[in-house]
Order: sequence, then structure tokens, then C-alpha cells
Amino acid sequence: MTVWLHIVALGLLASLGGALWRVWRGPSQADRMMAAQLVGTGGVGVLIVLAALQDWGLLVVALALALLAALAAVGFIKAQTPDGAGDPEETAPPSGWQNRRATGQADKRA
Amino acid sequence: MSLALDLALCALILGVALATVAGGGVFRAVIFFITYGLFLAIGWARLGAFDVALAEAAIGAGLTGVLLLAAHARLRRMQAGDAPPPAGLNLPAALAGAGMALALGWAWFALPVPATPDIASALPRSGVGNPVTAVLLNFRAWDTLLESIVLLAALLGVWILARDGDWNAPLGPRYHALSGGVLVNFGRFLPPIGLCFGVYLVWAGADYIGGAFQGGTVLAAVGLVALMANVVRPPRVSYALLRAAVVIGPAVFLLAGLLAAGFGAGFLTLPPALAKSVILVIEAALTISIAVTLALLVIGPPDDAGRSS
Repeated sequence: MTVWLHIVALGLLASLGGALWRVWRGPSQADRMMAAQLVGTGGVGVLIVLAALQDWGLLVVALALALLAALAAVGFIKAQTPDGAGDPEETAPPSGWQNRRATGQADKRA
Repeated sequence: MSLALDLALCALILGVALATVAGGGVFRAVIFFITYGLFLAIGWARLGAFDVALAEAAIGAGLTGVLLLAAHARLRRMQAGDAPPPAGLNLPAALAGAGMALALGWAWFALPVPATPDIASALPRSGVGNPVTAVLLNFRAWDTLLESIVLLAALLGVWILARDGDWNAPLGPRYHALSGGVLVNFGRFLPPIGLCFGVYLVWAGADYIGGAFQGGTVLAAVGLVALMANVVRPPRVSYALLRAAVVIGPAVFLLAGLLAAGFGAGFLTLPPALAKSVILVIEAALTISIAVTLALLVIGPPDDAGRSS
């Protein structure tokens, strides 16, 4: 059982390595941010496996990460607005979101 | 098998650290730094330092990410990020950094190994069951008291940056969001969960993983979400309740220390019979101050530029 848990943890770490490759490559800022979110989610997974391996108390750390990993995404979308304090939905409602992909090339310079 | 896991983790931490400082692009460096905090939290968890892992997860994943992303966006708005990075190696900085690393390495080997204090035998006298809390709030309370005052000084340092005309404006930038949008709903959904979790961390910290700093950080993070989603209005500097919240932690801590001195036990020396209740009172007060101070540090000084322009 312990061996299996180690293999699962290694597999999760490998998937995080894939996310890191996406942070390095980009190309858009949103790609890098979503990869960071994947690292957050994968980190929660690794911590849960480590909790099974070491001490169930680690679940508290996994819970904290699950709660707060999304915070960087909130900071990111704030930073994407012109004054740095807005909300992308104010200027582009969700229904028209897909159409922004054609015009959203400007943020590729990261 | 366990060694392979540790080696993989070490390789990832070193790789992320290198990727943060290498290569161009401030934004990429910021994102790598956020993931660096996540990997460090896993590393601390692997080492068995659960309280440090918790603090790193809350600070690294939550607060510094928001702070750095906001700073990057501000630089971009000021067109300061367009300047090309200096070409070549910054030799003085590299030498200073390498010298510091060498000096620390030398000190590590040259200094005598200190006798490890026997925390386990002293723990029953501390009033709490978590050795980290026992050290922070009882055996080395002096350090923690000074750290809580440093946090207060840092907040004053940020507030000093406010323009004269903005001083009475609400703190931070003027956040706005589409009412009924995703962000506003997230700002309503997350804080209640975070409030329960943060209070749990403070309460459980006496005997288990957690503590005032970790709980306060979680509270600050969810408070920040509520502020950024414009669900909660940011306070003003002149708001008396705000000033009270910022100083209550150091004040209660100092008062407890002085009372202990007054009863003849010595400054900040808690009598074992009362230690548990005194520590809980200090932790509750510290949590309020830490939560409010950290959230206000991230949103920054009152800045009315957005509204007037």
C-alpha cells in the first residue's frame, strides 16, 4: 500500500512538472495563470497522498491550499482590467466571451 | 521509493527556483514564484513541519500571489515594465548574493552545534499541546511580540506612501465588479468558509496544527476576496474600529507580559496554571490584528487616483 501511495505521489508530481512546462512556454498570460492553478490543484492532491503516507493532520494543509489557491486567479483577473481594480465581466459579458479570442491576441506578449 | 519522491520534490523546487530568476518576462517570474510557494509548502509537509507548511501554503499561494500580480499590473499601467532588463550579469549583486551564501554556509559549519532544548519535557508547563505554539507564545514569546509590532510598523510604512489628498479616502484602489457576476458570487461564497476555517485553525492551534498566524492569514485572504469583489467596502484610515483592530494584538500581548511581571513572574513569563487561557486570549487578539494588517498590506495605501481620473 505504501509503495502504491509513493507511486501515486510521484505521478502527481510528474503532472505538476507538465504544468510547469506550460508556465514556462505560455504563450499567453492566461496560459501561465491556468497552469499555476493546475499546480495548486495538483498540490492539494500531493498533500492528500502525503497525509495518507505520513499524518492525516496534513489534510488541514491541503484544505488551506484548496481554499486559497484560487486567490491568485482573482488577483490575475483584477490585474487584467484597465485600472487594475475592475472585473472583466463588466466590459465583456460572458455571452460574448468567445468572440474575444480573436481580439485577445494582444495579451500574448507576456 | 520514499527517496525517489524526495528527490523528485527537490528537483522540482530547484527547477522552479531557477525558472523564477532565469529567463525574461516579469509575469512569468511572478507565476513561477507563486508555484514556488506551493512546492515549498509540499516540501515542508514532507519534512514534517506541518505548521510551516500551513503558513507557506496560506502566504505563498494566497497573499503574495495577489500582491505580486497587482504590482506587475501597476508597473504595466505606468509603462515601467516596458524597459528592457539590463543586459548581462549584474556582477555586484551576484557577488553579494554568493558572498552571503558562502558566509551562511561557513557559519553553519563553524558554529558549535547548540544543545537542543528539551521541548517535550517542558511542554506540560506551557499550557498547550502544540510544541510550535508553546515556543511561539510561551518560551519565546518575546520574539513573537516583537514580530507582531514589526507587522504594525510595516502597515504604517505602507500608509505613509498615501498622497495627502487621499488620506481620508477608503484604503486601497477603488475595486468594482459586475453585480451578480462570477467575481461577486465568489466573493460571497468563499469568505464564510474561510471564516470558519480560519477560526478553526486558531482554536486548534493550541494543541494541533494551526495557530494565530496561519488562521489570521486565511482570514486575511478571504477578507481580501470580499474586498476585491466589492462585497465589503474598504475602511478608512481614520476609522477608530480599524485602528483598534490593528493594535489589539500587540496591545493585549504587551499587557499580558506586563501583568505577568506585575505578579512577580517576570515579563512575559506565564504561570503554568493560567498559561492555556492567557495564550488563547493573546492568540485571539493577535489573530484579529494579523488578519486585518495582512489584508490592508496587500490592498495598499488609500489611492483615489482611479476615481478622479
